[in-house]
This record gives sequence, structure tokens and C-alpha cells, in this order.
Amino acid sequence: MTSLMGHPSGQTVGYSFSQPTAAPVKEHSFYPYTDNGGSTLGITGSDFAILAGDTRSTSGYSINSRMVPKVFKIGGDDETGKGAHILLSVVGFAADGNALKERLDAVVKMYKYQHGKSMSVTACAQRLSTILYGKRFFPYYVHVILAGLDEEGKGALYSYDPVGSYEREECRAAGAASSLIMPFLDNQVKFKNQYVPGSGEGHALQPKKAEPLPRETVEQLVRDAFTSAVERHIEVGDNLQMMIITRDGIEEIFHPLKKD
Amino acid sequence: MPGFDFSNYNRNAALHARGVPLPKATSTGTTIVGCIYDNGVVIAADTRATSGPIVADKNCEKLHYISPKIWCAGAGTAADTEFTTALISSNVELHSLSTGRDPRVITCMTMLKQHLFRYQGHIGAYLVVAGADPTGVSLFTVHAHGSTDKLPYVTMGSGSLAAMSVFETMWRPNLDREGAVALCSEAIKAGIFNDLGSGSNVDVCVISKDKPTELLRNYMRPNERGHKERNYRFPKGTTAWLNQKIISKEDMKNYVTIENLSGSDELATGEKMEVDS
Amino acid sequence: MIGHGTTGMLGEDGIHVDMNHLKSGEVKNLDVSERRLFGLLSHSQQPLTSTSMAINFKDGVILGADSRTTTGAYIANRVTDKLTQVHDTIWCCRSGSAADTQAVADIVSYHLNMYGVTNNESPTTQVAASLFQELCYENKNQLSAGIIIAGYDPRHGGQVYSIPLGGSLHKQSFAIGGSGSTYIYGYTDAHWRENMTEQEGIDFVRSALQEAIKWDGSSGGVIRLVVLTKRGAVRHLYLPDNGYTGPGATN
Repeated sequence: MTSLMGHPSGQTVGYSFSQPTAAPVKEHSFYPYTDNGGSTLGITGSDFAILAGDTRSTSGYSINSRMVPKVFKIGGDDETGKGAHILLSVVGFAADGNALKERLDAVVKMYKYQHGKSMSVTACAQRLSTILYGKRFFPYYVHVILAGLDEEGKGALYSYDPVGSYEREECRAAGAASSLIMPFLDNQVKFKNQYVPGSGEGHALQPKKAEPLPRETVEQLVRDAFTSAVERHIEVGDNLQMMIITRDGIEEIFHPLKKD
Repeated sequence: MPGFDFSNYNRNAALHARGVPLPKATSTGTTIVGCIYDNGVVIAADTRATSGPIVADKNCEKLHYISPKIWCAGAGTAADTEFTTALISSNVELHSLSTGRDPRVITCMTMLKQHLFRYQGHIGAYLVVAGADPTGVSLFTVHAHGSTDKLPYVTMGSGSLAAMSVFETMWRPNLDREGAVALCSEAIKAGIFNDLGSGSNVDVCVISKDKPTELLRNYMRPNERGHKERNYRFPKGTTAWLNQKIISKEDMKNYVTIENLSGSDELATGEKMEVDS
Repeated sequence: MIGHGTTGMLGEDGIHVDMNHLKSGEVKNLDVSERRLFGLLSHSQQPLTSTSMAINFKDGVILGADSRTTTGAYIANRVTDKLTQVHDTIWCCRSGSAADTQAVADIVSYHLNMYGVTNNESPTTQVAASLFQELCYENKNQLSAGIIIAGYDPRHGGQVYSIPLGGSLHKQSFAIGGSGSTYIYGYTDAHWRENMTEQEGIDFVRSALQEAIKWDGSSGGVIRLVVLTKRGAVRHLYLPDNGYTGPGATN
């Protein structure tokens, strides 16, 4: 019987060293991906959704630009994105992010032209997953978050892995500082690890119940999350871009961040 | 046995050969500079220490004391710059005591380069050495492999290119004290804002022939943190617990010494930590 | 660093050169990447970078070198002094690793000074060259140093010795070294004459180095010369000459 995997070339297991007489063969290969740093985050409320990201683009220890937005309007009527009802944030490899945004934008527009109605956020979310999985073996090197309002007018947020696995969530942080921001969000949005004082002894202590937060609170949390991430992550900074989607449309706000 | 302990070398080499990564040292991905002026020399540094992309210390000290009129700015592996300068500082003092003369910068620089050369670059200390001695004012760079350069203005660290661009456009001969301090802090700021490895504040050290050395800690603070918009104090009882044990002050005395302060609480606090109010 | 000494290979000439070790972050008296520490730059493959030379002339010797020190593509020092004094009228041109050549020159300088004091007589150029060779040969596996030694002593007059990478010693009427030297083998051969006057010698060295700087990217900055005669050591400095007139000239 033939085995699928070739037997690992008789390599000895142990703690002894062989002294190679020649330098290891240098392999020259083309690596098309770069990490452009930056961070994004999204939070939903009862009648709105917020997507935010910093505007710094980096490579290595250098800053490519201090103003490269990571949050985009999808399926707008013109280049300003007027009339759009879906938001997309992309973080990771900026070139892939841009290509993905362009592609999803075209898909949503084509949907409108072909069906005579706007694409629902649920449909768009599923379509985005398909697009990502379509490049399963040469992925878009990005962590994307999609936001909009669902059929009931509630804030909807979908987060994806680079090959299309996705999930609807209340909040999600992505990118360079995600490991710094996500625990903060879990605690402040979903009230994880918070209990109601005096509600019981030991295991009977009641967890603090999470409920949708008002817009003002969420905006404050987003700004605090980013000003704090800037303190501890070198790839995050320059400006904060926030897009808030409500039934009245999309509002975009910029906020200065530290530039060191 | 004096010196480094190599007893874990073989174990670590074996682990490394099987793919276990080396522990990450805190590197001061840094901007450090130095510049000579008419009556002395100025060195300056940023205050960010990083561990990979994470800021390990927002306000660390990269200006190291060697002797009253010899100071070092350090880039590279934080521990290496710290211990190397401390070792050389000791030896410089002993040397000065045994000769009965003020220490010279060239002596310090030679000790540093011979120490670093012996370790063939494994001690990752990149230093700017500056000072005033009876022979005059000097400024050197010492690389981890043990090479040295003598120049009127120098930069080192990941922000050295940004800082050098400032020097190469603005430097002129015969600067005065103020000019040199301004130029050095401008160079550090170029590193702080354009190099991700550098950030936070500017530390400056002015060494002159005839005046005591001035260490200007946080000479500039161009990156103050803004106020947080929300209050993150939790009501008492927010954190869950399964059991509690109350230790009385009397029991505590078995483990630690307790002193009751009579005066104001301020006396008891050393360096005050920044906390949410 | 773990695994140190397990990489590298025997070169065509049988000399063990561990390029990984070599490139791991040394400041070359002209090249190689310390910048890799900061993840900024790639590194060049040239083992020796810079141009240096020394010649005999009627009254003594002349040493010359460019002034560029690089770490990767970055010029760490544009006014380096690669002409190093190891005794009153014995000097050397350093090329290769800055750390290695400085360390070797410091050790030789120490021994020559001790020699001078203990014997109450200045060492000859040959003694100096032998010391350099001893260090370079016995430590060939750990060094990347190409050194040219030139000196004047009353008994032998001016002498030029060259010690390339492996640690061999060659007495020559003139010697060139470093990455830029490959560009001027033809030039120096065509223009070389024995027993030149001082001015002819200076012009020869200057024009050869100018040519090397012009073609070699790893060489540059100013040209430094040292003239060694019975009158002692005299330094010369020549600033960049932009009067390039060859193919592709724009001015």
C-alpha cells in the first residue's frame, strides 16, 4: 500500500546535533503578503451599528501613511458612498483589503441593478463568506467585519476569518491590537466577569446582565478602546475613523490619535 | 565562577533545534543621538521600550550613568545595555580610583568595545558614549560587535535614519549649548514620530567641560495621554469570589513588618502609579 | 546565538567563510547588516566593502582609502578613518568587518609599542606585518579582515604588505584591497611605475581611488591619504570630485 505522505526522510529524533558541512540551501520564493498593521472594532446597539478603525498604515517599523481609512461604505450610489446601507472594515494586508472591498461593492451594486432592490445585510454577509472561501488556497490576508441593520432595524455585525468562516456578534475587535481591545469589549459590552454586588453568595452570585448600550456610551467605549490601544501597540495610531449606521443613514467621524 | 552562566546552553540548544523559539528580550527599538557643541556634548534618547509590537515601557530611561561626566545612551537589547554600562561604570570608577585621575571617555569607550568584541555581537548593546574629561570633549558610537566611530554628531537605533536626516539637514559647526539641545531633541522627535520602535518622551543629558552634568529627564513630553471618556471604577462586590479569609493585622505581623505612619499619606508613596480617579 | 558555528561552507579557495555569522549584524568597514536587528534592510553579499591601497614611491610609502562605512544599504559613517596608525611610521588600511579590523589593529598597536619600549628601537614594517599575519591566520575562522600594512623604517625604507582574507602575507610594490579594488586592477596595472616622486605617487593613489569610488557603490565619501617618509607621517584629505566625464554623464 502506498502512503499519501512520504516518510519524513529518516530524520533521527533526539538531542544530538549533526554538523552540516555546507550552508543550508537558500530558497528564494515570492511572498505576496505584507502586514499593514492597524486595528478595527465593531459594536452593535438596538438601532445602530458602529464600525471603527485607526488610519495608520505600516510596514515593519515604518509608517506608510497616517491617513488610510479601513472602514468603507458598501453598495453606495456614487464614489462618495451616498445611499449605502452596509459597512465593511478590513484590517491586515491592505492591498487584499482594498481588492475585497471593491469586489463586494461591485457585487452589492450588481445585486441592486439585477433585482431592483437593495441587498439585505444577511444576504451580503453570506455572499462575503462565499467570496472569501473562493480564495481558500490563496486567501485574502484580512480580518473583515461587516455591519448594517437587519430586517428588524437592529444593529447587525458579522465578523470573518480570512477564508470565510463567519458569525453574527454584538461586538468584535480585529487586527493588530485585537488581543488588547477584545477583553475590554467583553467586559464593557457583554459585562463578562462582572457580577451584581450582593446578589448571592459563591456560585449563586448573579452575573451582570448585558443589554444593548446607547449610542453615546458605545462611541465613548470605542474612543477609549483606541486611545488605550495606541498607548500599548506601536502599529496603532494617527487618527480614529468611526462610521455609525442608523436608519437615517451613515455618519462618519474622524478623531485624532497619538502620532508616536 | 564570575561572568555568565552557560549551564542551560545545551538544553536550550536542543530545544531550539526542535523548534522551540528563544524567549523574547525587551528591546529598546530606539532612537538615540549625540552632538558635540562648543563647550561640551549633548546626548538624547526617546523613552519607549518594546517587546515585539507591544509597548513594554512608555517612559523608560535609556541614558545611563558611567561617571559624573561620562554618560551613555543605549539601544538594542534593554538588559544588555543596562548591564554592560553598569559593569563598565564600575570598572571606570575602580580605574579612576587606582590611577587617582578623572576617568577619560576614550578609556570607557575602549573598555566597552573590548567587552563587546569578546562576546562577538551576542551582547546586543548599541551605545552612544559621550563625555568631558581633561583631554576635552568626546563623542563615540559603539556597535554590539565592538566597532567604534568618532564623529561630531551621531545617531543609533531603529530611529537612527530618521534622526540622522535631521542632523544632516540642520547640523552646523560651532553650535552652542541651546543649539545642540534643540538639535538633539528635534532629532529624537523625528525618531519618535516616524519610527514605530521609538515613542513617548525626550530625555536629554548635557555634559559640559566646566559645569556639572545636567540630566533633563522628560525634557519634552510631546505624547501626553488624553483623558478617558468613561469611568472604569467597578462597584464593590463586582468580582466573584468563592471563599474568603480575613487576616488580621496581628496575624500579618508574622510575615511582614507593619509601620503606622503618623504624617500625611504622601510620605508613604514612592513613585505614584497613574490610576483612574 | 545558538547554532553558531554549525553553518557556513568551504569556499572555492578552501577558506571557511560562515556567511550567516558574517552577515548576522556586523558593521562592516564598509558593509553588512546590523539593520537586520531592526528588521529594516536586507544585506549585500559582498564580503569586503571599501577601497584601500598602499604604494611604494621614491622616498617611502603612501596609503589611501575611501571613507565609507555601511550597515546594509545605510551609510553609518561617511567620514571614516580607515588608515590606522600602529606605530610612528607604520600604518594600515582596514577593510572587512570594522569590529574585527579595529580589534586586530589595537592588539598589534599594543605589541609594537611594547616592542619599541623594550628594545629601545622602533619595530620594522616586517615585524608589524608578521604580527598582523599571526592574528589574521590563527583566527581566520572568526575574522573577516583584509588588511594592507605599509610603513617606513630607516633600514628598509618604505615597504608594503598585504594580508587578504585567509591570513597569507604578501610583500608587494603596491597593494589594493576591498570591494572597490576589483574595478581598478586594470587601471593600477596600466599606470604603475616604480620610483615615482611623491606628487606622482599621490596623484596615482588619488586617481585610482577616485575611479574605485566612482564604480563601487560600497565605497565613497572622502579620500584619505597618509604619506610615510623619513620625515614622518603626513596626512592628506581630498573631498569628493564630481567631475565625472565617462559614459552616461549628465553634466
